[in-house]
Amino acid sequence: MVVINRGAHAEPGTSLEFKTGNWRSSECPVHVHAKAPCHAACPAGEDQQAWFAWLQEGHVEEAWRELVSKNPLPSVTGRVCPHPCETACNRTSIDSALAIHNVERWLGDEAVAKGWAYPVEAPAEDAPCVAIVGAGPGGLSAAYHCLRNGLRAEIFEALPEAGGLLRSAIPPTRLPRPALDAELNRLLALPGIKLNLRCKLGRDVGLDELKHSHAAVILAPGCGLSKEWNIDGAVPTDLHEGLHLLREFMDHGEFPEARRVAVHGGGNTAIDLCRLMKRHGVEQVTLITASALPGPDTDPEDLINVVPRELEEALEEGIEIIEHATVKRLIMKGSRMTGVEIVALKKLLGTDGRMHRVQFEGTERVVSVDMVIPCIGERVDPEGMHNLMNRWHYLDARDRWSRTPQENVHAIGDARGDRGTVAEAIGDGRLAVEAVAARLQGRADPVEDTRPEMPASGLNPVYFGRISRTAVPKLPVAERTFEAEIEGDIGRMAALREATRCLSCGNCLACDNCWVMCPDNAVIKTAELASDGSHYVFDLDFCKGCGICAKECPTGFIQMAEDTWHEGD
Amino acid sequence: MSDNDTDQRAERLAELREKFGRHPVEPKKPFHQGASLRDRQPRFCALESGHRACQGCGEALAARLVMECAGPDVMVANATGCLEVFTTPWPQSAWQVPWVHSLFENSAAVASGMEAAMKARGKNTKILAFGGDGGTYDIGFQALSGMLERYHNILYVCYDNEAYMNTGIQRSSSTPHAASTTTSPAGPERMGKRHLKKDLLGIIAAHHIPYSASASVAYPADLQRKVRYAMGINGPTFLVVHSPCPLGWKHDSHLTIEVARRAVECGLFPIVEMERGELANVMPIREVRPVKDYLALQGRFGHLMKPDDPRAVEELTHLQALADYNITYFNLRGEGEDPADTVGISQVARDRAAGEA
Amino acid sequence: MREALEGSQAIARAVALCEPDVVAAYPITPQTHIVENLSKLVADGELHTEFVSVESEFSAASVVLGAAASGARAYTASSSQGVLLMAEVLFNIAGMRIPLVMTVANRAVSAPLNIWNDHADSMAVRDSGWIQLHCENNQEAVDTTIQAFRISQETDLPVMVCMDGFVLTHTMEVIDIPTIAQVRKWLPPFEFKRALDPSDPKSLGALVGPDFFPEVRHSHHAAVTKALPVIEKTDRSWARAFKRGCGGLLTTEGPKDAKIGIIAMGSTVGTLRSGLAKTEDAGVRLIKLRAFRPLPEEALREATRGLDHLIVIDRAISPGLGGILGTEIKAVLYGTPDAPRIHNHAIGLGGRDIPETIVGDLLSAIEDPDATPFSVFDADLTMLPPEDR
Repeated sequence: MVVINRGAHAEPGTSLEFKTGNWRSSECPVHVHAKAPCHAACPAGEDQQAWFAWLQEGHVEEAWRELVSKNPLPSVTGRVCPHPCETACNRTSIDSALAIHNVERWLGDEAVAKGWAYPVEAPAEDAPCVAIVGAGPGGLSAAYHCLRNGLRAEIFEALPEAGGLLRSAIPPTRLPRPALDAELNRLLALPGIKLNLRCKLGRDVGLDELKHSHAAVILAPGCGLSKEWNIDGAVPTDLHEGLHLLREFMDHGEFPEARRVAVHGGGNTAIDLCRLMKRHGVEQVTLITASALPGPDTDPEDLINVVPRELEEALEEGIEIIEHATVKRLIMKGSRMTGVEIVALKKLLGTDGRMHRVQFEGTERVVSVDMVIPCIGERVDPEGMHNLMNRWHYLDARDRWSRTPQENVHAIGDARGDRGTVAEAIGDGRLAVEAVAARLQGRADPVEDTRPEMPASGLNPVYFGRISRTAVPKLPVAERTFEAEIEGDIGRMAALREATRCLSCGNCLACDNCWVMCPDNAVIKTAELASDGSHYVFDLDFCKGCGICAKECPTGFIQMAEDTWHEGD
Repeated sequence: MSDNDTDQRAERLAELREKFGRHPVEPKKPFHQGASLRDRQPRFCALESGHRACQGCGEALAARLVMECAGPDVMVANATGCLEVFTTPWPQSAWQVPWVHSLFENSAAVASGMEAAMKARGKNTKILAFGGDGGTYDIGFQALSGMLERYHNILYVCYDNEAYMNTGIQRSSSTPHAASTTTSPAGPERMGKRHLKKDLLGIIAAHHIPYSASASVAYPADLQRKVRYAMGINGPTFLVVHSPCPLGWKHDSHLTIEVARRAVECGLFPIVEMERGELANVMPIREVRPVKDYLALQGRFGHLMKPDDPRAVEELTHLQALADYNITYFNLRGEGEDPADTVGISQVARDRAAGEA
Repeated sequence: MREALEGSQAIARAVALCEPDVVAAYPITPQTHIVENLSKLVADGELHTEFVSVESEFSAASVVLGAAASGARAYTASSSQGVLLMAEVLFNIAGMRIPLVMTVANRAVSAPLNIWNDHADSMAVRDSGWIQLHCENNQEAVDTTIQAFRISQETDLPVMVCMDGFVLTHTMEVIDIPTIAQVRKWLPPFEFKRALDPSDPKSLGALVGPDFFPEVRHSHHAAVTKALPVIEKTDRSWARAFKRGCGGLLTTEGPKDAKIGIIAMGSTVGTLRSGLAKTEDAGVRLIKLRAFRPLPEEALREATRGLDHLIVIDRAISPGLGGILGTEIKAVLYGTPDAPRIHNHAIGLGGRDIPETIVGDLLSAIEDPDATPFSVFDADLTMLPPEDR
């Protein structure tokens, strides 16, 4: 029974008896830990935001441990990766992307210098062992993730040294050998990894044998052979193929004699080769590529597939690049080459609804060269794996876990044909091992991260001040040699400063905005981390669903979603 | 009547009571002493949940922010208006501090009496007086002026939502020029309110009180800093807080902060501080927005968004001129950083914590 | 101690004896000397109070509201236009059941502007829910003022002490002013249970909807009605302590078997008494009504028992109806067996001098066959154009 008190005064805080939560019409706020775009874009599967969060708090080793939970070779990828993470970075909408690549390298080098232990434990003696063919980035990643999944790994490498194309195809100006060796040796020294060198599949060991002796087989042979190249059936008598030239040069430090060279292709190998030849003294180096150079109107599909800074440096160094062109005819004087005829071409939509490269008659012109070097890509050496080759001459990997038609056999990295970067190979290695581990535990597929990605439009940029991107030190063109690393170390201060630029897209950064700005006091701060990874919970007894918290959340961590709450929940 | 029927009836009654807010008065519940998370919030909560403000109410937010840093040793005199109505529908109250509502036009005078009582009783409890723009700019203006002149130790906070919202969105002297309200509607013969927004701070300044300032719900830390500063002054202080009203301004409830922020960014609501009536500080605008960005979010300015109507264009230009005037008059254009304008950013804190140091 | 004091001055002294924490007042036209005298007492260090010199009567009432709500003994004084300007706050104070005391120096209400005595001002706020006590002379005004503080805090109701403007406030009388020790002994310290207090933070002045409003109103009505015994009891207590009373709710004097009665409030009673004393064999019962709100219905019925005629003197009118007190007395006596016939006259409006001889005129008017049930008795209608009479 209501008792009306004198003067109808009210007792403090009694409005809490009135649950305004039933005022919400349709939506209520929820915490959505969306993927940061850097994470979503990373082929290796790194969560850059997670390790930047550690850096923001000054915990460098924890940052590195978070990083190597996915990618065991940050010192390497921090030098060679085309960093799609930076391209995806939402900070571009405010000022410019974080220098993720450079911070990654610094972290990797820091770990080597300080001797931080990888976050793995030695597998049990009787743990299942996975056979890995190839000790390139994919194979090494697979071996490492075996340890992380409690498995042992045995690597079979045809060459006398581990490293794969990291050693054979990437010039020391991009990846100095000491840096490579330091990280590889640390990785290979982990207990539970056995490395067999000079052990070639099909020659020293057979696939069936491996399938029998090991719990699973992961093929990571890379693409050891160059793709065949000819112009209407013609090839120069002294044809030097790009990847081969590069390997030769790395082994012997010599290029064949030439004054003017045309390189035909459009990948990192082509650019590396151009730059090395130019530095070696070739007067004129011309890259002929069917793709386009970056520009305001360039279609991303059409863009040349090269690390942007490498392209920039190549242009600095005087490499001439002819875009949207292909070699149409070789001009020979006897067996001697005097030039190539090139023609303009472009990718256009055909009547079949697919993109085709169309050559434009009447745009032919001649570039005088005395050597043309094809650099149009590589293919798999099929030895020992003929049964697994598909019709495009790659290994027949069929899903994101690189499963092949043969049970317990995975094919990862460049050999799949649809990969092209070190980071992708590293990611493949991890995913394949996760699939192996899942199968061994009797599960169908590993758990997939199906979270949505956080677009820049989902952030509230008001809360982020402008801070310019750290400038990365670089050798002047004149001082560039065959050995000296061109890009420098950004150092601790810059790395930590760069970390503060991270927007924490889709992640709660405990800024208190929701807590401060809720007119209904319906956001409750938690002393410990809440179960959804935030520092707050919504009191839906009182939330009226106005949406201010979602609008003012700087990182898009709060979103309005269909209201499924019932009174008394 | 069977037992079953009786139960159903009791249930139905309980349901109706729940719905219409009729609750039996029970023994006092030990709020803020329990073990729940709500009870252990690391802030002083004087304005509890369960109040009946509309979704996205700027005033409810502003009042909570003010109370948070005013602290428990205060007493509040509240003028009639939304804040009073939505916080105290008897038998409930959302307040956790002593609070009194008397009339529309006398909160400053009631507060004066409360302050006199505290003085007479030898207590230091600080008195706050709250009013909306109607109760401050208009009907309660005389009482406010008297309070300031008599130099009471009171912080007066005006929650400025630029019209009489509680009574049905009628224009006040704080309503901006050209805004459409129910007593200054836009129509074929009128472009909304014909007169200008009263320069209240200018008038307050003429009282030469120790401290007066404007603030906005879009910048909570700035607002709270000002409250704390005012709380420390022994004498009359005045704060006007720009508090958007989604219902009256006709914008979506989730845009409350955004709208308030744009009001500041375009210069129509300058954030300033005055000491003894002299301009002491401003919140600089680093990137000035056109007033249209602010107005376009609000239905009350919808009639100005007609580029083909010369009258609409003229009024829009007029408002832009008023904003430009503020920017020049208060010298609001800021370069670089200033402690006053890093508020939103300091909330997020991360890109300042280690960065530029 | 007996002193010759002006009414306003005496009230100021009485208020000072009650040691109010907060005093607020504004000198609207017309004002009395009460607040000036209080200011002087403060300036001279004889009264320690927060004196708030507000910018309007409206704020004066608001300030005392806030002060009393905050647990302070509060006092204000007003008159005429000031009371009307306060009206909104006066209703508010009473509705919130806040105890405080106000002196009303009764005066006419403009227009036309007139600064002299009648009861139009306090009558205008008759329905505000305050207790209204009328005083015959300045001694009673002093005593009632002190009593008012006690009644107020005992009933959680505001008390209006009505004393005739000019006639009392501006008149020198010899008054016995109690000592502070006596008052301190008799008047308990101020206490207001619902006072604003950070250690028990109540909300005062909540919004009450139709669900509960009639109950709240009834409770207010009941509270004012139940103040009747408190008023009586307080006066008796006062009389015991100070050897003089103010007449409780009402007093009667004159022969027990009188057939004619006259009832009036305030200083008019004194004039009438004096007039009656000079009328031989008047045989008239004089009723002095002290408590106008609450109206002591039972006591009135008792006081008028046995009368054939009752002359009700009003000092204010409700145009279109007549005298206010007269109408209320009629209502009180309605249905009472052998109720006297009511002769309702308004006299002395706007300070028109009330001569003692008016008694004779009033008595003869009883037999006047042309007399109306209500008249503005001392108005010379011949001064009006016929159409305005």
